Amino acid sequence: MIVWVMPDAGDKSKETYNAFLSLFRKENPQINVSMRVFTRNVLWRRMFTIKNPTHEEEVPDVIQIPHYWTALLVREGVAENLSQLDPGLSLTSCVKALKNHCYKPGTKDIYSYPWWFDISALHYREDHLKLVTNHPEKDLSTWEGFLKICAALRERFQNVPGYYPVQNSDWRGSLSMRSALPCVWGRGVDLLTADFKRTSVATKAFKEGIRDYINLALENYMPILRERGSLGTMVSGQASLMISRKQGVGTFDARRGIPVRTLPVPSTGDTRAAYLSGMNLFVNVRSQHKKEALSFIKFCARPEVQAYLARTLEVFPAFEDAVELFVLSSPSKRLRAYENILPLAKTLPNLTITGTIMEILKRILAVCATQIVEGRFTQASLDRELDLAAKEIEYLLSIYEG
Amino acid sequence: MFDKKSYTLYKFHKQLNQAFQNKRELLESALPVLRNLFKLDRIYFFDWQQERAILSLRMMCKKEYCMDKQEDISVIGEPAFLKQLLREGITETTDLSYPAIYVLVKWQRPSMELRGGEVRTYMQEKVGVLRLERFRKNRPFTPQEKELIQALGQEISHNLRNTEIDQAKNQRLNVSTALNDLSTVFASSLRLNDGLELILQGVQKYFRFDRVRLYLTDSYGRRVKSALCVDISGQVTHRKGDEITEQEQALVKEVFDSATTYRSTRSVIYIPLKVQRSKVGFLAFDNILSRRHIGYLDFISLQQFASQMALSIDNARLFERVQELSNYDELTRLPVRRYFNEKLSEEIYRAKRFNLTLSLMIIDIDFFKQINDNYGHQIGDWALQEVSRVIRHSLRQTDVPCRFGGDEMVIMLPSTNSEESKVIAKRLHERITAIVLPTKYTGGEEIHISISQGIATFPSDASSTEELFAQADKALYVVKQNGRGHFAVYREVADQVQGYSKE
Repeated sequence: MIVWVMPDAGDKSKETYNAFLSLFRKENPQINVSMRVFTRNVLWRRMFTIKNPTHEEEVPDVIQIPHYWTALLVREGVAENLSQLDPGLSLTSCVKALKNHCYKPGTKDIYSYPWWFDISALHYREDHLKLVTNHPEKDLSTWEGFLKICAALRERFQNVPGYYPVQNSDWRGSLSMRSALPCVWGRGVDLLTADFKRTSVATKAFKEGIRDYINLALENYMPILRERGSLGTMVSGQASLMISRKQGVGTFDARRGIPVRTLPVPSTGDTRAAYLSGMNLFVNVRSQHKKEALSFIKFCARPEVQAYLARTLEVFPAFEDAVELFVLSSPSKRLRAYENILPLAKTLPNLTITGTIMEILKRILAVCATQIVEGRFTQASLDRELDLAAKEIEYLLSIYEG
Repeated sequence: MFDKKSYTLYKFHKQLNQAFQNKRELLESALPVLRNLFKLDRIYFFDWQQERAILSLRMMCKKEYCMDKQEDISVIGEPAFLKQLLREGITETTDLSYPAIYVLVKWQRPSMELRGGEVRTYMQEKVGVLRLERFRKNRPFTPQEKELIQALGQEISHNLRNTEIDQAKNQRLNVSTALNDLSTVFASSLRLNDGLELILQGVQKYFRFDRVRLYLTDSYGRRVKSALCVDISGQVTHRKGDEITEQEQALVKEVFDSATTYRSTRSVIYIPLKVQRSKVGFLAFDNILSRRHIGYLDFISLQQFASQMALSIDNARLFERVQELSNYDELTRLPVRRYFNEKLSEEIYRAKRFNLTLSLMIIDIDFFKQINDNYGHQIGDWALQEVSRVIRHSLRQTDVPCRFGGDEMVIMLPSTNSEESKVIAKRLHERITAIVLPTKYTGGEEIHISISQGIATFPSDASSTEELFAQADKALYVVKQNGRGHFAVYREVADQVQGYSKE
């Protein structure tokens, strides 16, 4: 059995997942399981080719996907109907926000099973913030306040080489749509209208939300397109803030004397939202080991396994009982802050075209990042790109969601 | 004397001297070798993205394994770094707190410059960049090591190039074979719909497109007459002209007017289907959901395939036209007797097999000879055309009309009993009686056309085709005997058929 996963633990992904698989092997010595790590980009492309593999291409059995890809894979006919494979399979204890993303839209047939999720939050170094404000919580509740703090921090740490107020949490070291979403939501808009019939990408509020996020790079508060190894981190003292989906308990708590606190992402408008990103597993319809694949998925859903993975990947379990157990039993006080953040969770809809919309917007942000680095970014060009994107999305809606 | 550099290069060359399926496989083999050779803690391979001036991380190798990774580094913001890397092919990073070097991996083919015998490089292409890191023991890279790394980088670049060429060749070969197979299937069939579905599905499968669409137009290329679409799940949908959206209709002009149909950034391509001056339709291939670009080589293959497809569709259309001409009467556009008889035999068989009823109606235009004699054959033909038009528009889709000869027409009404056929006969009678001969030919007189109809039903009136015809003809005879302009069902007039003789 072959499992395809994403590099969720950065450079240590292989070690982390190998250790995880050894737990499974211990219980199921008869199942020969191996794992491959692919980036999200590679997986996205593979999702469109695994249906018709060439002779050279391997056929995976279980694949990790962002939860909002489920509808697409069902539409493609790539994902196996898990309810048919095991009629007893249930989502009763699954975190509410993740449930709809497991079903084929409009049915109660499970096509992907929740694995874990993470949620965006603002982490800051208490010792750094003390130098520029007495009320970090209040100042960091709005985007305006957040930018002011960034300016003050840069002033305060101007003599520290390689210092940026904000650490870039995007793995590519670029601008990330997933980080931009809370800014857009804060402005009271979403990718699509509530009925999923139209897109809001060309609206003023959406453009402003994107601009809020881009400002971090424009104002040079956050490094982009730089050697990641060369950049300072919150741990090294060359950054003070980070908007990240990982809770970083392992990273921050491992270094004693670095007091890190966690707050909800500052709001750009009247709405406060935290981006919830779920990771699901699905069984390839072409798999020759469907029973084994199902047993792996069930193994992953067990509370103790969920808690183990949540600890090692610094994420959250996908099942309610495991979340409670994980948050409450954790010695990290900072994890409790998530009790206030979890109710703000908002996620992307489970539609055939959601992944494509994210790809379109990702490309726009990639162009913006290059333009910012080259010093030729203009708001007009961003607006034009978003207007074109809106037309493209409307066309996609007419084809796939009409 | 033993030359360590040459020996290492030879060994490296031997290790890479195998057929790799793709770039990933090659890197998975080469990077660990470099890591071990130079005792590196990590080694990365970046793709050189010329258009964005970005180094885009593709693979990382550490300890005993390689892994896909993502990271983008802009080289614009680092002019000194970039300059040195391009000039010397190697540069040390100054930003990192530990020794790390970047090595340019470029493919080049030297050419001999005749003037002065100087060798110059004409073709060169930046393939990627290697980043080698030693962060555990902070051991710097020696000049000898740097020189060797550059030489090995060169070796990798040649292997990468060869692998890419091999991969492209294999891909082309697979695609050509697939297209050839598909073309053979299509070319061997003269019926338009045969195999079209299979072929489009095949193209979608081999090229891995999200959608493949075929639009068939009229021969002037003005309107789409029908469309066939294979969607992302591989399902096929057929649409007729009236189901085609205006947006799609507008595409026709765009496709036929556009000189170029390919753009490298596109995930949609349209290929017009033309045979000499005749326009057949166009093919649309798209990856708009997956947003994968369609490669130029794929485009070229598809263009070649499209020209074969256009020819095959045109042949099939000609075949259909010939069939139509041989099956349909030119004047009335009703099927001819031979075609009708075939259909009737099929329906009689079906009716027997599934215990169904079937009615047959024979129609005669009353006093047709007088119309011809009094107003000329032109008006006679006009009357025949008008009656046929009304018949065509008054019947159900399953009914089959036919011009049986002269002014006699026959209609087969499947799954219709005598009562139901009377409804149709009444409708025809009313509509045809409403036809008035053009008054400019009748001297202003309003002359209405009338018809006589005889009906027989299978199996109640007859048990064979011949008998069915005979009984319907008898019913018609009775109508004619009783003054014409009416209809009769055989079983209702069976007792009045004395004196009938088949002419």
